[in-house]
Amino acid sequence: MPRHRLAFSKADTAKYISHLDLMRTFQRAFLRSGLPIKHTEGFNPHAFVSIPLPLPVGHSSACEVLECELLGNPDLAEVPGRMTAALPAGITVTRCYEGGRAVKQLQYVNYIVTLEYQAGAPFGADTAIRDLLNRESLTVVKRSKKAKSGQVEVDLIPLIAKVTVEERRDCIILDLVLRAQNPGLNPDLVVSAIRERCPQAAPDYVCFHRRAVLDEQQQVWE
Amino acid sequence: MNRTLEHILPRVQKPARYTGGEYNAVVKDRAQVDVRYALCFPDTYEIGMSNLGIRILYGVMNEMEGVWCERVFAPWGDMEGEMRRAGIPLYGLESGDAIADFDLIGFSLGYEMAYSNVLNMLDLSGIPLRSEERGALAPIVVAGGTCAFNPEPLAPFVDLFLLGEGEDVSVELIQLYRRAREECWDKEEFLRSAAGIPGIYVPSLYTVRYHEDGTVAAVTPQEGVPAAVAKRIVQDFDKSYFPVKTIVPSTEIVHDRVMLELFRGCIRGCRFCQAGYAYRPVRARSPRRLVEQGIEACRDSGYQEMTLSSLSTSDYRALEPLCDGLLEWCEPNRVSLSLPSLRADNFSLGLMERVQHVRKSGLTFAPEAGTQRLRDVINKNVTEEEILRSCRTAFSGGWSSVKLYFMLGLPTETDEDVLGIASLAEKVYQAWKQTTPNPKRGVSITVSTACFVPKPHTAFQWEAQVSMEEYQRRVKLLREHMKGRSIRYNWHDAQTSRLEAVFSRGDRRLAAVLEEAWRQGAKFDAWNEYFDYDRWMAAFTACGLDPDFYAGRTRAREEVFPWSVTSTGVSAAFLWRERERAYKAEITPDCRVQCTGCGADKLYLGGKCDAEA
Repeated sequence: MPRHRLAFSKADTAKYISHLDLMRTFQRAFLRSGLPIKHTEGFNPHAFVSIPLPLPVGHSSACEVLECELLGNPDLAEVPGRMTAALPAGITVTRCYEGGRAVKQLQYVNYIVTLEYQAGAPFGADTAIRDLLNRESLTVVKRSKKAKSGQVEVDLIPLIAKVTVEERRDCIILDLVLRAQNPGLNPDLVVSAIRERCPQAAPDYVCFHRRAVLDEQQQVWE
Repeated sequence: MNRTLEHILPRVQKPARYTGGEYNAVVKDRAQVDVRYALCFPDTYEIGMSNLGIRILYGVMNEMEGVWCERVFAPWGDMEGEMRRAGIPLYGLESGDAIADFDLIGFSLGYEMAYSNVLNMLDLSGIPLRSEERGALAPIVVAGGTCAFNPEPLAPFVDLFLLGEGEDVSVELIQLYRRAREECWDKEEFLRSAAGIPGIYVPSLYTVRYHEDGTVAAVTPQEGVPAAVAKRIVQDFDKSYFPVKTIVPSTEIVHDRVMLELFRGCIRGCRFCQAGYAYRPVRARSPRRLVEQGIEACRDSGYQEMTLSSLSTSDYRALEPLCDGLLEWCEPNRVSLSLPSLRADNFSLGLMERVQHVRKSGLTFAPEAGTQRLRDVINKNVTEEEILRSCRTAFSGGWSSVKLYFMLGLPTETDEDVLGIASLAEKVYQAWKQTTPNPKRGVSITVSTACFVPKPHTAFQWEAQVSMEEYQRRVKLLREHMKGRSIRYNWHDAQTSRLEAVFSRGDRRLAAVLEEAWRQGAKFDAWNEYFDYDRWMAAFTACGLDPDFYAGRTRAREEVFPWSVTSTGVSAAFLWRERERAYKAEITPDCRVQCTGCGADKLYLGGKCDAEA
């Protein structure tokens, strides 16, 4: 297991940096900040970094984690400042620490999904969404590379641990706790289900924000 | 970030191209800035960010106090559609502000097929296309780059052209612009005054008259305006600006590495090559300075790859000491070094081993023509034996991939020359068989041909391009003689080359064709996804102009060219001499062997170029 972890947030313009590009960006940022990290071995050695739970392009996050191994025992308290200065706008490293819990213990993710309505939130939309997400089962069709037909059916309900629906004047805010992995649930699929089953509650625009990553007991994982 | 923009970005491909915010992007305080400059590249982000000129000009202008230079690229079709629907005008990546409100809008013109994008970008900005429709002092639309050496097809759209290297003249232009604003000049006064700056061509101050046959009769400047505009060059290249602190894109671009510019100009004098003539004279940076800049640029960017870029990198006098100096730092820091544009004639084992030390990639050679006779015609001073020797060296060093570039349709080309390409490829294959240490691994030899496009300011500026049918016949002939096995043959399409030939030597009347084609939807013509030849032909018909007049016509020696008002410093008399030698298949030695008096050294105060050093 890599020795060090960097906790960082990704917002604003940086939301649009893809997972692969983000890894490359970090590899370069380590070089720019003069913080050497361990390289992979083998034919084509490269700086080893790993980011569990790739964040979809366009989503913001307050709780991303990067695993790596810093060489030369740098002062860990200095790392966030040095790294943030070397990263593009919108990425802020908040903490650097040793160890941490196994990635497989990362079980849930807390998302804030903001459904925006240009003409104001439709009457009864919040109730409709609440009812939908509290059903016994909610099966949707999802694209899949593995399935022969190119799609599989997924029941969302077992993957949703918690739902809070709050209505504001021109938006509805969903506070969701979703399964993180094996299998995980992309909040985009929850929104698709709303669009499909409650067309009257279909938003004009949606903001996805990852607020926290949690363990089996839904306590903060780090 | 703009909320409307946030709403559309989830629907477009590769949204990171449209957000800015990259490492080293320059963000200034609007309140501290009095000149806003939109540096526009009429192609995608990935292509434009790979352009060293853009990075140099961005750095130079942003170093000026009170000037904020921002980047603008052509949005891909999906993004353009979303922007038009949402009413978002073209904006600068750094501020997100609409460029219609900027003071100066500068386009980099590297390729004729990007002209439709220039119009499209002006339109997306909400700026009137034609210079005469823009009455105010802001924005002023300027353009520079290689294509500015024949500015005429874009003349009605652009207020002024900057000829040659832009780092000095851009600064002078901005200073003049500031004065114009302080003294409340109108646009007319500003342009007249700008025409007095060396290297600036203001097309509206010149009247073009035509003969009945459509050729140019005369280009007449207004009173007090220079009859010819010579390009600008940076005289002391060693001391000139190099962007060591440069933007590192957060998404992958085409040339995603540190680009180190060893020298400008080229000693070779290939007769078809516009860059070879237009960037003269040769001026080099010292290896000591290059090593410093290379290391600093890698440190600052975190790039782990560096390329040594120039027109003919292996002609750099101190290439070996430079590589040694760089590798001393690169190897322990795991930075790989790459050398593009190697010439087959001086490719040495030592050099190859140095480069492959970190990583081994494919080799590319450009013999350009299949027979020695034709290579002599175009003055590509490389022999078959040299090409084969270089290949043998490479193959025995373990390389197993070679690309060979050729042109079809060069002046005087016969079928024998065409077939010479096939036989050269075959000889390269034999060379591999004889020298490879791993015959089992196989070899990949790729032969590519493009249709020759005669360019202004070259020895072949008087030539006709072969017809598309003739090019296709030669492609077919070559295909039939290209034996299978490990040799792959690719050819460029004829239609793009023909249009390129039309616009590269076009006159002002072509502006109407350009505008008509753009109105019918032309954009991104360098991309297969968008290029539509029939649309262009329809535009020619609508405007009553014949593309063959521009592409397929041999010019008389005394013909006045539309670009005659621009000067690269290389004299027309010299180019004509080169043309005559071409027809006699006489080679001209490179500048270091003998100065042939092209005239470019006169651009210097001291009048000396590196080739004479």
